[in-house]
Amino acid sequence: MATLLLALRSIWNRRTTALLTIAAIAISVALLLGVQKMRTSAKESFANTVSGVDLIVGARSGPLNLLLYSVFRVGDATANVSWDSYQKIARHPDVAWTIPISLGDSHRGYRVLGTTPDYFRHYRYAGDRDLAFASGKPFADLYDTVLGADVASQLGYKLGDPVVIAHGLGHVSFAEHKDKPFRVVGILARTGTPVDRTVHVSLEAITAIHIDWQSGMQAMPGQRVDAEQARAMELTPTSITAFMVGMRSKVMTFTMQRAVNEYRMEPLLAIIPGVALSQLWQLVGVADTALMVIAGFVVLAGLLGMLTAILTSLNERRREMAILRSVGARARHVFTLLVAEAGLLATAGVAAGVAVAYLAMWAAAPLLSNRYGIFVQITGLSRYDLAILAGIVCAALLMGLLPAWRAYRNTLSDGLTIRV
Amino acid sequence: MSQHAIPSAPVSTAADADTSGALADSVELREVEFGWPGKPLLLKIEQFRIARGERVFLRGPSGSGKSTLLGLIGGVLTPQAGSVRILGEDLARLGASERDRMRGDHIGFIFQMFNLIPYLSVIENVVLPAQFSATRRARAARRGPLAAEAARLLQALGLGTEELQGRPVTELSIGQQQRVAAARALLGAPELIVADEPTSSLDHDSREHFLQLLMAECREQGSTLIFVSHDTSLGAMFDRDLSLADLNRARAR
Repeated sequence: MATLLLALRSIWNRRTTALLTIAAIAISVALLLGVQKMRTSAKESFANTVSGVDLIVGARSGPLNLLLYSVFRVGDATANVSWDSYQKIARHPDVAWTIPISLGDSHRGYRVLGTTPDYFRHYRYAGDRDLAFASGKPFADLYDTVLGADVASQLGYKLGDPVVIAHGLGHVSFAEHKDKPFRVVGILARTGTPVDRTVHVSLEAITAIHIDWQSGMQAMPGQRVDAEQARAMELTPTSITAFMVGMRSKVMTFTMQRAVNEYRMEPLLAIIPGVALSQLWQLVGVADTALMVIAGFVVLAGLLGMLTAILTSLNERRREMAILRSVGARARHVFTLLVAEAGLLATAGVAAGVAVAYLAMWAAAPLLSNRYGIFVQITGLSRYDLAILAGIVCAALLMGLLPAWRAYRNTLSDGLTIRV
Repeated sequence: MSQHAIPSAPVSTAADADTSGALADSVELREVEFGWPGKPLLLKIEQFRIARGERVFLRGPSGSGKSTLLGLIGGVLTPQAGSVRILGEDLARLGASERDRMRGDHIGFIFQMFNLIPYLSVIENVVLPAQFSATRRARAARRGPLAAEAARLLQALGLGTEELQGRPVTELSIGQQQRVAAARALLGAPELIVADEPTSSLDHDSREHFLQLLMAECREQGSTLIFVSHDTSLGAMFDRDLSLADLNRARAR
């Protein structure tokens, strides 16, 4: 204990170097923790994007493609699902509910999703959380729209504001459905999922705004159908982009998946979101493993910096060691002194690193959730984190053996008297 | 720094304080040979004995092997041949750790300069041996609390004022630093005090004064003193005045 105190005093005597060493370790540890936290948060956000949905059905393409456009609003569907097929599956006795999805339009870069009020009833994310309204209510009128949290906050929409939907995707669009403006009736609470970046309208509205469009162009003036005329027309779509299915019994999921995949009237594809999500994560996950490896090397660099600092200090401390040996310090004490120094520096570095990491997370959490939809929950250190941190301190203690051994050898060759 | 408040016992002289090997010499070297690796033999001493309580002056020019001899006595260096006995104990028969313990328990060192740990206070420097040696801690405690004993020694060596004792060691003059080093060597009344040119950076008057105080305290504690210097003028103050050149046969051949 007394030797530990001596080590502390000695470090304090070299506090500038010590502080820099601690700072280097702290930064590396903060980076490691940050990456680690981002990794788990990203993975969680990812896995939390959709839940409670047993199957997603779309036109036959690839599972990842279907998952990407139906859940992440990334990419496009290659074909649609006919309304008849949708109805047939939706009415199947094993199916509890369905959420039809119709994509293809956008509003200032945010995708427009045509669906039914069932969407707000059955869609789940992050385990069992349902979509809550920050304000307003689901759409009821044909030209009502419900905005995701990001859409509302980024574009500054309030309830009652008009929204004009653009034809097709992209931030800048030259073809707009100006003749049929929508009114904001609801704004969803933040979910940390792509729902936040979606503009929701009814399926019928999607039909209505395209009623006088042909091959991507609006009809000539004179042949156009205005907003009020459209209300009176048949607005049931002939096709939708995809639909989500909730089964009465989870056990039936696989049977239904097979049935859909073998459906003869139309080439369809049914995927189980959880399975597709983990497939997708395997692709995306490579990048974050790489990040983790890099962070690991940064920590190693931090520790090597500490080792360098201690080894460098040994020369100027030869006299200190000789004095300690002359007053009866044994090999054990010299070892304890230097290993303790490494341990103390590393522990201080790790502690500071944890503080920096949490401070940074606390500061960056709103930005990450707004910008990237990654929800960083500030939780305590996980057992894995603690194991990593303990590993860093242990590595430092092991590294401390090198200067300890050098110092002891110095004292042996120096004897008790060294010329400075 | 821990202080062991042991009920104060009557102060005893070193002779009856430690009865083990009471009859043995303080230091006894026989047929000792030592040379640094790859270099010619530096020391070859047939016999060199220092009795208990004796105060010996050992002179020799620098590079003559004085410090090496002290390293052998301190058990930090091991001779290639012969035996070094400290208080009757053959150092060759002790393991490295036991030699370290022997040194910490029974020998106090004072070096030429830079004797002090810069980041410790004056008192902390003085009580340092007690941190590593239980024997010296116990002996110092007989006289009272450790810090008080340190202060007493400092006072005996002419560093009486609290102001001086409270200063960072790096702000002390060389002479003051040497007194602190002497107080440290004396703490816990080790049987043997080894001084390696402790006065070489002092002027002549301070030198004599320092030596007088050191000797008085050695006498008070019953410690043997080996004083190594190239300054022959101090020799007269000692019981014995030896030249390393007379002792060392390595150069004679």
